[in-house]
Amino acid sequence: MADPSTTVDASLVEDAATAVPQPISELESLRLLVQQQAAALDTFVKNQQSVNRGKKVGADGLTKKERRALKAGAEKNVEISNAKTNTIDESLNQPKNNVAVNSKSSKGKLQNDSSTPIKSQVKNHTESPPKADTQKSQKTLDAKIKENEKETLSKAEIKAQRRAVQEAQRQAKANQKLVVTPNNNNQATKENIKQNEQNIKLGKKVSPKIDLIKSPIKHRVQLFNHLYVGDFQEQNLKRYTLNKDIHPAFLQLGAQYLSRSILGSNARCLAMLSALKTLTNDFRTPPKQEFCRSLESTLKASITHLNTCRPLAVSMTNALRQFKLLLTQIDTNLSDNEKRSLLQERIDKYIQEEIEKAGEAISNEVNKKISDNDIILIYGYSSLILRILVDAQKAGKKFRVVIVDARPLLEGREMLRRLVCANIECSYLLINAVSFVMSRVTKVLLGAHALLANGYVMSRTGTAQVALVANSFKKPVLVCCETYKFCERVQTDSFVYNEIADPDKVVTVDASEKSSYLLNWRDNNYLTPLNLMYDVTPSDFVTAVVTEIAVLPCTSVPVILRIRPVE
Amino acid sequence: MLEMELFSDVIKLISDIRHSKLHNSYDIAIHTEELVERLISEGKWKSAQDLMSLIKLRIARFISALPQEATPVNIMRHILKIIRDEYDTGFKSKGEGHQSLHHLVTANINDSEDYSKLLPTLKSSLLNNLAEYKVELESSMDNIATQALEHIHANEIILTVGKSNTVEKFLKYAAKSRKFQVIVVEAAPRFHGHLMASNLAKSNIQTTIIPDSAVFAMMSRVNKVIIGTHTVLANGGLRTECGVHMVALAAKRYSIPIMVLAHMYKLSPMHLCSSEQDAFNICASPADVLPYSSGPLLNKVHVYNPAFDYVPPELVTLFISHQGGNAPSYVYRLLSELYHPDDQEL
Repeated sequence: MADPSTTVDASLVEDAATAVPQPISELESLRLLVQQQAAALDTFVKNQQSVNRGKKVGADGLTKKERRALKAGAEKNVEISNAKTNTIDESLNQPKNNVAVNSKSSKGKLQNDSSTPIKSQVKNHTESPPKADTQKSQKTLDAKIKENEKETLSKAEIKAQRRAVQEAQRQAKANQKLVVTPNNNNQATKENIKQNEQNIKLGKKVSPKIDLIKSPIKHRVQLFNHLYVGDFQEQNLKRYTLNKDIHPAFLQLGAQYLSRSILGSNARCLAMLSALKTLTNDFRTPPKQEFCRSLESTLKASITHLNTCRPLAVSMTNALRQFKLLLTQIDTNLSDNEKRSLLQERIDKYIQEEIEKAGEAISNEVNKKISDNDIILIYGYSSLILRILVDAQKAGKKFRVVIVDARPLLEGREMLRRLVCANIECSYLLINAVSFVMSRVTKVLLGAHALLANGYVMSRTGTAQVALVANSFKKPVLVCCETYKFCERVQTDSFVYNEIADPDKVVTVDASEKSSYLLNWRDNNYLTPLNLMYDVTPSDFVTAVVTEIAVLPCTSVPVILRIRPVE
Repeated sequence: MLEMELFSDVIKLISDIRHSKLHNSYDIAIHTEELVERLISEGKWKSAQDLMSLIKLRIARFISALPQEATPVNIMRHILKIIRDEYDTGFKSKGEGHQSLHHLVTANINDSEDYSKLLPTLKSSLLNNLAEYKVELESSMDNIATQALEHIHANEIILTVGKSNTVEKFLKYAAKSRKFQVIVVEAAPRFHGHLMASNLAKSNIQTTIIPDSAVFAMMSRVNKVIIGTHTVLANGGLRTECGVHMVALAAKRYSIPIMVLAHMYKLSPMHLCSSEQDAFNICASPADVLPYSSGPLLNKVHVYNPAFDYVPPELVTLFISHQGGNAPSYVYRLLSELYHPDDQEL
């Protein structure tokens, strides 16, 4: 067992070392993830086996205490960030002194410093053979390391360190506000970086939060500061890929979400449910624990990992809520195998009822509204809309489809391909030409990411715009959405909850031989490409929402939410 | 053959525009003005009537070749008006400037002028006038830019679409003394917005580039929309780059003012000829929308890449020309000042 884990960890350490000075691109990290998956699968299975044999080594190779320590560390950081900065004046002086002492700190040093804790950790893992009796020794070793850390820092030093961290964070916030004038604060950020280097040197511990500050906050749109994940994501990804608690199916899923190779809320939900099934199947109850409880805690780690890769879709959150509810309701007297099969059965049922049957019902409903010679405008890709149109074609209706597409995702091309394969007559254009065709269109069909409790529709960016133009041309807009995507949340703008995708996608021009003037946008601090994933369509643009239950006005979402059995 | 020689100047202009040697409206305007200037100084004409018919022939020629390109026609149309005015002042026959309503009603139809009398000073006074007009054209962009501070305040978020030299200059002028942010819509598939964004960022303006789809999402936080235009129509509507209509609709939705920077030569006495856009628009190559590499798929689909959008006047808040700001409802009045009523339909 030791072999696969050592190779994985070694490669990770290498990667961590290279990643610190120059953040690796998403693709690279992805490749890394995929590489690890094979190894991770082995370790996971072996860990599970070892669990079955009744040995007490944690599934991830980390001892419980270690994990607890990690958690505590994270909590501590949160505390630090939440604490108010009462003593700004003092803290202003202290880091400066530190800078004076170690003013020659180089980037290379920083790199070493930040990677050493990981290395030492890894050493601990690799040195400890997977026997139950060595667990104790490892525990003591970890404890010793912790003690050492504590000893080297006196209380005053810790205080000073905290203040420095606070100050750094405060300044980082100030920088975020001052993005408009980077010239003035370029120096400030440099100082900031120095300070952070200082902190890291002093503290020896590298927490991801401090690293977040270390990266200069350029190329961010102020309005969306709360949405950028960047370094934090990278750090967390590394932490979680080290964590053998996460089932490889979820690691793979995470990688797919991260690369956005699985897109669309239905597809994402289906993929997650099938991963969930795999997990339920592979999961072995640790000794002296109850199946559902321990599954829930394992699941929690996996879901956190998924959330780090990409924020969960509403459809996924809803499905997960149902699954967790089921875990608490399941009869504890059943055997593990019975529970397992029951859970899998219920997942299948959920897929069948909430997605398949609902899609069928919606398709039937919309098909009643499609008549011959209709010109139907659709936007981007939606599995549900595709199904509706193909069904209508099979029913022998004669209609045309106008596919409106938008960069940078260009999902509409996939839609076009599939509709053409189904022998549906199609036109294709980009979103800026939507006014050009709208006068000739008879209906607009839109998919949705989620329906919010105030009747607004959350969907792929651009949906609101298509609805807006349709509205101005007085064309009916039908939003098709299964009720499992309904959401208690209310939202009136596209700023509070949204996702920011890879900004490089905005500046790459695919269709023609032209190349963009923005390819080296990182060189100019004033330039920020913004790639939003979602927007929110006001309810007054939407004529009706077609659900499997009924055709409703948008404003009836709360009614459905009350009807649906949730908890 | 003879015809080719006669119209060689305008044919050259047409081909230059067609081959994108001249693609911004300012260059086209200057070239047209120079064309007419050459015609006046070197052409074979005796009376004002001769000259006007020469110019009108060129306008006709141009309209038939490039019906979408309004700038050269507008320039020539304005020069016709200059010729008429010079003729009138040369003979002092028709009072000053515009006729009163009373005069118009009581005027004898036979009284109307045919501009056939010879006026020896006409050529020199026209050339003087044209030189003045050229200066006006050349300074128009700067004149518009200097008004920037009247419209942009500190910390604004301004949205613009694609690329316009006038807008770029306007924003850069404002950036000399005020800090503000600009959101540039990239305007796919031509991606002029990318160049615009990189130019603005080079002059240290905080610039965000967004795809066309994110306009509605961003609009609620935008303070002003500032755009250029291809043509201003007689009703105050716009013929603009494709995609501006939805931007204007989104701005209207959030009650955000839309300012259109327009040189006087963009004002055109033409109306939207039909609500069906076929007569109004032209479609560019679909290869930019769906690349040829899509293969057999291309046989089965219609791909559209329209070049223009019609923006109705009720979505426009303000026109800014070198003379100052005007509401869209005032455009008809500007038109009557720019062009002689007899030249509006050509």
